[in-house]
Amino acid sequence: MTLTDLMTMAKSNEELQKKIRNQLWNTHPDECYQCMRCTSGCTSLKLLELKPHEITILVNAGFIEELVSSDIIWTCTSCLKCRERCPQKASPYNTIMALRNLAVEQEAKIPEKYMKVVAQILETGMAEQAQIVTSKDMQSFNREKLGLPEIQQADDKFKAIFMKILGG
Amino acid sequence: MEDEELKIAVYWGCKIPATQYAYEMSVRQVLPRLGVELIDLKGTSCCGGPVRSINNLASMYLSARIMALSSKTTGEGLLVPCNECHFMLTETKHRIDNDEETYEQIGKLLSEEGLEYSTDLKIWHVVDLLHDVVKVETVKSTVMKPLEGFRFAVHPGCQIIRPSEIGRVDNPENPKKLDALVKALGAETVDYTEKLDCCGAALMYSHEEAALSLAGSKLKALQAYGADGFVDTCPYCHTMYDAKQEAAAATVGGKLSVSVFYYTQLLGIALGIEQKKLGLHLNQSNDPRKFNL
Ligand code: SF4
Ligand code: SF4
Repeated sequence: MTLTDLMTMAKSNEELQKKIRNQLWNTHPDECYQCMRCTSGCTSLKLLELKPHEITILVNAGFIEELVSSDIIWTCTSCLKCRERCPQKASPYNTIMALRNLAVEQEAKIPEKYMKVVAQILETGMAEQAQIVTSKDMQSFNREKLGLPEIQQADDKFKAIFMKILGG
Repeated sequence: MEDEELKIAVYWGCKIPATQYAYEMSVRQVLPRLGVELIDLKGTSCCGGPVRSINNLASMYLSARIMALSSKTTGEGLLVPCNECHFMLTETKHRIDNDEETYEQIGKLLSEEGLEYSTDLKIWHVVDLLHDVVKVETVKSTVMKPLEGFRFAVHPGCQIIRPSEIGRVDNPENPKKLDALVKALGAETVDYTEKLDCCGAALMYSHEEAALSLAGSKLKALQAYGADGFVDTCPYCHTMYDAKQEAAAATVGGKLSVSVFYYTQLLGIALGIEQKKLGLHLNQSNDPRKFNL
């Protein structure tokens, strides 16, 4: 690899770093001083080995592409403990969300269910459709049978706007 | 607020009106009896919760859209009984109200549908609406059938107590409002170390096994404390602990039989409302009817 290659790479990383920062608004990964308070209380540390302080330092060092194509950014449960406890307002949670957005933009591999839910919202406005549920004694119920009012869905105007935003 | 009626708009989100009927039924039953009249929003859409991982602007637009719909009603605020929706709306509100650029951007998008964002909307969850507005004392004095002799473990959930900087329903590290509301019904609550553990629901999109194991470990720990039941206030948490309890048990190796209730179901029972009207028959975990409440 030539020096020129390295320099172009560094540049593209800077651009990606900027993209992350632009989305973050009031949380600041660059203020992180690696106290690890986030990681010590992270819900996904034990089961999925998520270490939010490492995500933060990798972003600061410019390893954005590596993170974007890694499964690790999809292991966060959104428990918001790191956001609450970070003494530096670095909030790894927000950084992870920004990395996920970037993964979508760069067409990296993302969990299928997320795309399904977006398709569902485009179709009906809702992330889930009303289902028939079964009680403990095996009787079936829908909203009507339970005396719940009909759901009034959003109209197509909303869908067009939503679609436009997703399209960038 | 015993004698004055409070009129408030309600946004149910996606999960509650799609499967979590018991929560919707019990909220619709109990609030009017405590002087809160609900106005259903029309033409709602998703709050943007799952969309945040895909496109932040799109998720903020979705949240803002709900707030704009609410501002069109005569309600004195918006009740959001789902923890996730409550977080998404409050988080978006915090940004729109403090970031001029986002305010303009979102305002423009909403105007394409003839909607307008208003900064003075007050957002409530069931927990703070009952605790801070209706007041614990009023709940207590309205109880007809006290749940004496029962001990419950409460699950405050993550997203209505954090992050405190945007204004949340309770203390982020030591939430007590749900405990107080359970005690107002004449029952006791259990202090337990795992109280703040996350249900894992958000991981159902990508790591189902881990998600179930998070829900399972909390219930497993809880069984050792000998509580009579588990109380939550979020359709996502409730699904993990109730409908998915058996699957969760399989991931933590052991049998789980914890009766899981929405707080509003317990409240309804204590107010003397018929169990069927509270959706008790829809709970999937260890049959709550055995309580003979
Ligand atoms: S808690 Fe904040 S400052 Fe400490 S390591 Fe985590 S991100 Fe960095
Ligand atoms: S929000 Fe995500 S990264 Fe932060 S503590 Fe929770 S699981 Fe860990």
